[in-house]
Order: sequence, then C-alpha cells, then structure tokens
Amino acid sequence: MISFKNVNKWYGDLHVLNNIDLEIAAGEVVVVCGPSGSGKSTLIRCINRLEPIQEGELVVDNMAVHDKNTNMTKVRAEIGFVFQSFNLYPHMTALQNTTIAPIKVRKMKKADAEELGRETLARVGLKDRIYSYPAQLSGGQQQRVAIARGLCMNPKIMLFDEPTSALDPEMIGEVLDTIKMLAKGGMTLVVVTHEMGFAREVANRVVFMDDGHIVEVAPPIDFFTNAQTERGKAFLSSILSH
Amino acid sequence: MLENFNFRVIWEYMPLYGQCFFATLWLSALSLLGAVLVGILACGMRLSQSRLLSWPAGIYIESIRSTPLLAQLYFFYFGLPSLGIMLPEWVTGVFALTLNSGAYYAEIIRSGIQAIHFGQIEAGISSGLSYFQRMRYIVLPQALGMTVRPMLGQAIVLVKDSSLLSLISIMELTRAGQLLTSERFMPAEGFLTTAAFYLVIYYLLKAFSNWSEKRLIFKEAF
Repeated sequence: MISFKNVNKWYGDLHVLNNIDLEIAAGEVVVVCGPSGSGKSTLIRCINRLEPIQEGELVVDNMAVHDKNTNMTKVRAEIGFVFQSFNLYPHMTALQNTTIAPIKVRKMKKADAEELGRETLARVGLKDRIYSYPAQLSGGQQQRVAIARGLCMNPKIMLFDEPTSALDPEMIGEVLDTIKMLAKGGMTLVVVTHEMGFAREVANRVVFMDDGHIVEVAPPIDFFTNAQTERGKAFLSSILSH
Repeated sequence: MLENFNFRVIWEYMPLYGQCFFATLWLSALSLLGAVLVGILACGMRLSQSRLLSWPAGIYIESIRSTPLLAQLYFFYFGLPSLGIMLPEWVTGVFALTLNSGAYYAEIIRSGIQAIHFGQIEAGISSGLSYFQRMRYIVLPQALGMTVRPMLGQAIVLVKDSSLLSLISIMELTRAGQLLTSERFMPAEGFLTTAAFYLVIYYLLKAFSNWSEKRLIFKEAF
C-alpha cells in the first residue's frame, strides 16, 4: 500500500531521511518511533507530500508520490492525516469540519455529507458535540473530531503524527481507543507515537528511526523484549525507565 | 456668535446637501467594494511564492502607502489625460480611492492571514482541498473575521478621503460646502453642515462594525 524505495530528503545540509526502504501492506498497522529529530514525522509527512522528497521512489496506493506530475489531490483523498495539534478549523462546527472535504473534494451532496459526518462523529463518541466549535471541546474531543474529519473521506490509509502528544494524560486513552477501533476495522495505519503500550497492543510492526535512518523494523514483541541494535536498546531504556 | 449663524441658508441648501450626501455614499461604497477586492488580490499576490506575482504587488503597496492621496489623485486626473487616457471625473475619483485604500486593505488582510495557524492550511492540503478552496473556506473567512475592526477603520478613512474628490470638481459633501461658501460666503455654515453629514456616515459605519464584529469574529481554538 505504501512503498519507500531508497528515499532521501535534505533540509539544506541536514540529511533528514537517509536511504529509506519500507514496505507497508494494506491493512497493516505500523508504529514509527524514535528520538526527537530522528525524521519520523518527516517520514509520514512525505507520504501525502506535505513534504517533497528529493530522491528515490515513494508509491502510495499505486500512485507515484515522488513524480511531480502525479495528481496529489487524488492521492490525498485516499489518505487521512491527523496532526499533533489537531489543526481543526476554528470557525466551523465539528460537523462542518468533517463535511467540508467530502463536499468540496468528493463532490458529495451536502445532505449526504452531513449524514456521513453525523455517523462518523457518533463512531468516535461525539454524537452530542456535532454542533460544537473546536474552542468548546477538550483536547481529546478535538483530536477525535480530527480523526472523524479524516475518516469522512473514506480513506484507505490513515496517518497519525504524534496524535496524543499535545493531550493531557487523562485524554490520551480516549484517542488511542479510537485509533484501536480503526486498526481492528482493517484500515492501513501509520502512527508516529511514543505510546509503547499502544504499539505493543495494536501494531503489526514497529519502525525505529534515528538520525534519518530506519534502524530497526520488527514486530513489537521482538522490538521491546529483544532490540537488535544498541541505539534501539538505548532508546527503549530511556522511554521505559520511568 | 450663534446669532450670526444662518440656519435658513443651510435649510435652503438642504436639497444640494442631500444629493451630495448620497453622492459621497455611493462613491465611497463603490471605492470600498473595489478596494476590498483589490486588497484581497494584492494580498494574495504579495503572499505568493512566485516573485513574478509578489514583486509587482509589493511595489504597488509600497508606492501607494508612501505617497499622499492628493498626489495620486492629481496624477490620475491630470496625468492620465496627458497620456491619452480620458475618463469621466467620477471614474478617476473612484479609481484613485480604490487603488489607494486597496493597498491598505492588502496589508490589513495580510495581517489577518498571517495570524492563522499554518497547521490549518496543512490540514486543508491533506484532505485534498485546492489552493482556492483553502482560501475561500478556511483562510479568508477567518482573516476577514479577525480584521473587521481595522477594515471598518480603513472604510471610515476612505469616506473622509473622498472629500479630496471635491478638488477634481466631483459633486460630493465637501464640494457642497465649497459651493455654499462661494455663493453666499458662509464658510462656517457650509463646512459645519458638511462635517455633520460625515458624522452621520461615521456612525452608520460604526454601528455596522459593531454588528458585524459580533457575527464574524470567532473564538480562537488554541
């Protein structure tokens, strides 16, 4: 579903993605972790070309993201993206946040889109908040609206960029539960997160990155109990020690 | 002092003032509409990645903001005909006011756009919205909402600046004062009445500002 082949990316002199090779199958749940500055956010932001890559091949759902002539609107319609800071549109209600792209990009009828928006918001547990503005919602609720906004495009892939890092501890669970529900539903998910309990429970594979390289790729059990590299072990001990 | 004040003459000139009041209103309204459109366009060009667009917009905005409106007005009124472009006076006047306020609106709207958290634009990009859809549905509603107060402030400046159109013999409120002064030699009556009518427009705009601010300004989410 997502295929990186020899992908390289630089910010000026900084080599942020270094010879990335990664295949993600349809229906797979992949957790990307690593120290800050390791390139994990950049990695998933390349998948829908929020960031362009400079070298290599990146193919998503049989569409060549590395090719400048590819119609990215079509690619992006198949990929939901959830940000660390939610990035909801503050002048729209929860329902409007979820219906704008279906109406304007998918050309859905307004009534159909609203029906879909209502159902999706109910699915993430926000049936009572559809007319609330983002400012009237808690962080966890805002992030669930953001997930519903992605889901309303009926995407094949959902990308999560540290979806719980901006949340108070008591709200992390509600957002992770929502993501787990999607994982069980068979959607292809790529999640950048430090929530190792979540990774252990739902991920098929963990990708560990450091300094722009993919250092290890392993099923979560193997990675957590038996990391193969020194850097992997050092990272795990630093995040699991407290 | 007040016993010398001739209200009868003011009453006598009221039809002229009424006519000129509406002239000021529609000249200003037309210029305002044009200025907001020019402002959005110039602001969009200024913020563009392409230098081919951003440089002309920058030169336009800077040159308008750095020179007096009267000089601009005279340039269009006397300068354009000498270049072979003949326009009716009112068109020249509206054109000058539009270009002048347009530059200020461009800067006001730019401040509103730049206050929007870039993450919202990335969210729009991610869901496949085009540049114009992002502008139309995400950026402009918020930018215009946040800048209602400075925009209405500029509208009030524009209405007052329209008094300069009297200098290119357009019939409007200030010209009415000038006529009363020259025909009856009553400058106090003439210009006080003119001022009173501007005050009416000012309060109309202010009432609109308060009303629209309640409707347009949104609570920030973050």
